[in-house]
Amino acid sequence: MFALGKSSTAAQKRYVIRTLAFMGGYSLVMVAIIFGAFDMVQKTPAAWVLALAVSAPICGQIWTTLAYMRESDEFVRAVMAKQFILAAGIAMALFTAWGFAESFASAPHAEGWLIYPLFWAVQGVTAPFLKSSH
Amino acid sequence: MKNRLKLLRTERGWTQEQLGQALGVSRQAVNALETEKHDPSLDLAYRIAVLFARPVEDIFENPHA
Repeated sequence: MFALGKSSTAAQKRYVIRTLAFMGGYSLVMVAIIFGAFDMVQKTPAAWVLALAVSAPICGQIWTTLAYMRESDEFVRAVMAKQFILAAGIAMALFTAWGFAESFASAPHAEGWLIYPLFWAVQGVTAPFLKSSH
Repeated sequence: MKNRLKLLRTERGWTQEQLGQALGVSRQAVNALETEKHDPSLDLAYRIAVLFARPVEDIFENPHA
């Protein structure tokens, strides 16, 4: 559902462009954090604003997905829903398991924001196998 | 769901893209119907029946019959 070809519909093109824009926004903020661009806001009220700003592209992605489903036909809508639910479910299950492993099995700490790239990684692995609406 | 969609489409010399445009669905949806990866909604089944001027049962095999 992510590749653009000559037979792509207008809705598919809008979905890919919006997804790349929101993923790009999220990635830019992450890179900026890694390189210390926001170190000066640590432990200040501005840090809360930054935390909400990081989640904004994720909200945008949810809107993009819902808009794509609304603009698509019944088959695309069904497959999209399956792909999203499976990827979100696996990502949540893995992250929940890791959280308990941190608490009870001394696993190294994983930052909460990693769940978003994890979701996309799972989606990338599972989506090619979900081509049926059944 | 087994169907005769591909046969009816090729009899008319239509591509999946053309049939999709006539039905208001994507080429992927037409392909999924033809390869039995998608069971159409009642609405889509009736649209297909009207397009080919045939009863729904002539195009889609009733799995409960």
